[in-house]
Amino acid sequence: MSNVSAFAGVDVGSLGTKTVILVDGEIAGYSILRTGINTEENGLNGLETALENAGLKREDLKYIVATGYGRISAPYANKTVTEITCHAKGAHYLHPQTRTIIDMGGQDCKAIRLDEDGNVTDFAMNDKCAAGTGRFLEVMANVFKVSLDELGPLSLQATEVLPVSSTCTVFAESETVSLLARGEKPENIIIGIHHAIANRVGGMFSRVGVESDVFFSGGVAKNIGMRKALEDALKVKIVEPERDPQLVGAIGAAVIAQNSWKRGK
Amino acid sequence: MAIKTLELIRKRLAERPEEIAKARREGQKVVGWQGYNIPEEIIYALGLIPVRIGVGGDDRLVEIGARYISTKNCVFVRETVGLFAENKDPYIQNTDFLAFDATCLQTYRTAEILEYYFNKEVIILGVPRNFYWPEAKVYFTKEVEYFTKRLEEQTGTKLDNQVLADTIALYDRIREAIVTIYQYQAATANYLSWEETYDLIHAGYYLDRREYLSLLEQVLSELREKQGQPVIEVTEDEARIFISGSVIPPGDKKLISIINEVGGRIVGDDLWSGLIPYLEVKIPENSLQGLAVGYLNRTPHGALPYLDLDTDQRIKRLKELIKTFKAQGVIYHTLRYCDPYTFKAKETKDILQKVGIPLLEIHTEYAGSDFEAIRTRVEAFVEMIRNKHYEEVAV
Repeated sequence: MSNVSAFAGVDVGSLGTKTVILVDGEIAGYSILRTGINTEENGLNGLETALENAGLKREDLKYIVATGYGRISAPYANKTVTEITCHAKGAHYLHPQTRTIIDMGGQDCKAIRLDEDGNVTDFAMNDKCAAGTGRFLEVMANVFKVSLDELGPLSLQATEVLPVSSTCTVFAESETVSLLARGEKPENIIIGIHHAIANRVGGMFSRVGVESDVFFSGGVAKNIGMRKALEDALKVKIVEPERDPQLVGAIGAAVIAQNSWKRGK
Repeated sequence: MAIKTLELIRKRLAERPEEIAKARREGQKVVGWQGYNIPEEIIYALGLIPVRIGVGGDDRLVEIGARYISTKNCVFVRETVGLFAENKDPYIQNTDFLAFDATCLQTYRTAEILEYYFNKEVIILGVPRNFYWPEAKVYFTKEVEYFTKRLEEQTGTKLDNQVLADTIALYDRIREAIVTIYQYQAATANYLSWEETYDLIHAGYYLDRREYLSLLEQVLSELREKQGQPVIEVTEDEARIFISGSVIPPGDKKLISIINEVGGRIVGDDLWSGLIPYLEVKIPENSLQGLAVGYLNRTPHGALPYLDLDTDQRIKRLKELIKTFKAQGVIYHTLRYCDPYTFKAKETKDILQKVGIPLLEIHTEYAGSDFEAIRTRVEAFVEMIRNKHYEEVAV
């Protein structure tokens, strides 16, 4: 029997599968893989890669928590928890002063409020459309023929913010094409897109409120342009994460795994 | 949960459409009604068969309805129109004429559509916009009198005062039974779930009301035998949910199923398709004016504007019911384009937050495309309530 007590959090999102291994409360390994069509396989692959990265074996794992939209197909997990609860625990783990989280993932966007122990006190999610999500930005990157990673830095080169009125993916794509056809500079349109999303996200915060410190999690949080636009829209300073913000949900899941094992649940 | 009378009710519901069709063949007339303030007692006392029409949860019917009205009208209204357009529902087929009230303006305007496209005879009952004014009593009494006159014209029968008094007594007993059954479903060791209780209310939309009362009393008798007096307490691991907001008509199971699937326990509601119409109906005298006053005594429908939050009966009643059923959180359900409830969501949330009750807004329609997104929200809400409960117990 293994004498290592390791705990895993597996966050199977719509675009990325993130896995974190915790040993003695510290991150021992992690993985970020592109989500494929087999949800269960995605989780298992993520788990194997993260374990390998941590230099551990499957039998070292004492407890696994699955989260994300793929949590419903995770027979390998001891427990499933929603990504809302996991993001709160993950952000609290990385930055205990966090009281508000903006989570922007592949297919949804959330405003989460939490207490000093990392428990959720309120939350709101975007309506059923892709506005304010990674998928929306992917479509936009495709219009500009650049990679997703380039969108944020490009927006910082803007000389003016061109208003993009639509946040519907289809309409915004058509509006962007029209602006390009009119000869507008791509970076000015890109910053306009970021501001349109940030303003829409701001609407969610009118439902739950904002309190510092504000943490930005999820894959879209890697986008520096989005971070700046959100700081402008919400009039707050967003904390600099010490870890990849895409891992926050998986970190939270691993923390819950560790706590659940300790409580015997 | 083994209440045997429920099986009998299901059997009687299956038999009811044919029973109604037979009654019509024998000359009885059927009134299909929709709304919140129709005094059904009058319909029944005139020897008519009242059927509360309208179902939900079927996106196909919504699409059919959208051929006649805008896709920006609420889905319940669109589905109601779809029901008439398709004309396959046995209750719709067996309706002689319709009665709608002007509480929710979208429902009221649906009557126009049904008249225009499907040649339905519709009787409209006017409803005061503000129940709190003394003038409301005068206006609503006159509306109820006119409503009765129209029904009398349809049937060729005059309303008999003694029959009306007997009918009011019958309906009072139905209301009393429903309110008592709600106590049992919310109890700690319950033999009847909220969902079964909700179905029980909807059974009363179709069954003959005398038989319905007898069945409710049988249910109560079984409950008393199994549970004794209902004791409502919060137990560990429970997430006691109260549902508020837009109508959840028969057939619309999406949100209810999700709450059950993720381990929440529904313990109460203030839906106009649920408990609220049966509360506080204090009819001062057995007359049309008495009925009008009795209906005005109830909690006003959310579609009726009222801006003073401190004296809003709807909010007051919501808080009381949360306390009675020991609910730990409110799921506020709004249907797409059901504007009255959508507008009231944030103010309701803020008020409840002050008394430590969290509120989750769920904005949905009958399509299944948002099922997983709603499941995530509801599951997170249940997790939030449970975590809060653990903390309170730990303290």
